[in-house]
Amino acid sequence: MQVKDTNKNKRSIGWLALACLVLQLAVAPNLALGNGRINFALIFSAVVALTIGGRTGVFCGFLAGLVFDLSTTGPIGLMALLLTISSFQMGMECRNRLAGEIGPSMILYAIHALLVSLFYHLAMLIVGQASSIFDVIVQRTLPTFLLSVIAFIPFAIFYSRGDGTGLSGRQRGGRPKKGSRYNIGNI
Amino acid sequence: MPTMNGGGLSSSGLHKDTQGNGSRLAVVLVVLSLVMFTMSARESNGGFFTGVRSVYSTITTPVRYVGVVVTAPFQGLGNIFSNLTANQKSLSELKSENAKLKASNVKLKEAEKTSERLEKLLALQSTYKLKSTAARVISGATSSWSDDVTIDKGSTSGLAVGMPVTDSNGAIGQIISCGGTSATVRLLTDENSRVSAMIQSSRAQGILEGSSDGTLKLTLISTDTSVKVGDNVVTSGLGGVFPKGLPIGTVMSVNKSAGALYYDIDVKPLSTTENFEEVLVITSLTEDQQATSEDITSADSQDSSSSSKSSSKSSDSSDSSSSSS
Repeated sequence: MQVKDTNKNKRSIGWLALACLVLQLAVAPNLALGNGRINFALIFSAVVALTIGGRTGVFCGFLAGLVFDLSTTGPIGLMALLLTISSFQMGMECRNRLAGEIGPSMILYAIHALLVSLFYHLAMLIVGQASSIFDVIVQRTLPTFLLSVIAFIPFAIFYSRGDGTGLSGRQRGGRPKKGSRYNIGNI
Repeated sequence: MPTMNGGGLSSSGLHKDTQGNGSRLAVVLVVLSLVMFTMSARESNGGFFTGVRSVYSTITTPVRYVGVVVTAPFQGLGNIFSNLTANQKSLSELKSENAKLKASNVKLKEAEKTSERLEKLLALQSTYKLKSTAARVISGATSSWSDDVTIDKGSTSGLAVGMPVTDSNGAIGQIISCGGTSATVRLLTDENSRVSAMIQSSRAQGILEGSSDGTLKLTLISTDTSVKVGDNVVTSGLGGVFPKGLPIGTVMSVNKSAGALYYDIDVKPLSTTENFEEVLVITSLTEDQQATSEDITSADSQDSSSSSKSSSKSSDSSDSSSSSS
């Protein structure tokens, strides 16, 4: 549930998106484990979904996936589809999960990272880009999953610090701040 | 009284509105993604999505370039850990010199073979008179799925889709998409890569395919021909894309299954992605660099001999089955 969607949030999302875009274009191609590479689009969508969630999370997931698709040679729309679904599921909680629950958030992210990576590569297998399920699982899915989880750790630590990050749209229970978009206290 | 229950406030209208909006948006975006995926998968070269991707590639080229500059100091970390006993500088120089000598050796052997086979050349001529454009590699593969690099030249420099690309060692790939100021090169080691190639010593012609483990597979080499480990593999020029005789790699292993018509040959490429810095894009081929009618005839005869061998084997097997029956 989204209870606050301020301009501060938009600016913070913008900076995070810019950072992840630069990392995706500049760093990811040059850091590889086997055939796996870090998926910064997944990391961006997960941070937004876990801290803000709701419509913002879903929309950011879709855009991040679309940008990822444009920067690869694969079909456009596949990663956008997966990150839309992933962001929607991760953003269903009505609170900022990264602030205070970094452990469970990491586990949730890891599950999503594994599923997104697995389904992406399986889809590529189905469209005829590979002939071996072994190749899909061992040489592509697992390295991508591992690298994306490791790369998510600094983001999770940074955004688990709370208000300093700017991505603090949802309250962890208690009274909402004045000026919130929806005043839960009056319900 | 609202209660916190899993996903949120279950009894308030606020919960329904917010979740409902998110759900509706998710459904719309999922449908949109599926439509784009379907259209993109069915699209041929030059379609809408190719144009969008080309524009995106052009816009993001400076960022990729910065990435290469920033990560350049870390590129040699793997070498440092695997060669702790040697001086890094001397090791780099020796490797570089060794690569040049190998390429030079392949070129000289190719020139010698050409001279012997045709018996008409009056003087030793340079095998590779390439009309080419120099470019710099600015990025590796973004996806784990493809094995490609991005170069800093595009259609404004006269490049186009399909042009072959080489480095100092030999052929490395082919342009698969071309923007205004950048182009994507599919490497020979990509799983979708197919290049006509031949064994330099025996002139046996086949198809070189990429694989996920970074090696190259040379297929369609008949078991009638002689192939041994260490043989040089060069481009055959068939197909008219790559110039004839360009070095590609060396034979790493040769396997022959019982009853098989073709060898299973693993080829080690002369170049690795880590070494790509400056490359040459071959913009056009001269007649000398294309496959001759003799080469085409040779390839055809190789195919026909394999076919006849296959048919004789099948007739043998049918004979034996009929006799046994």
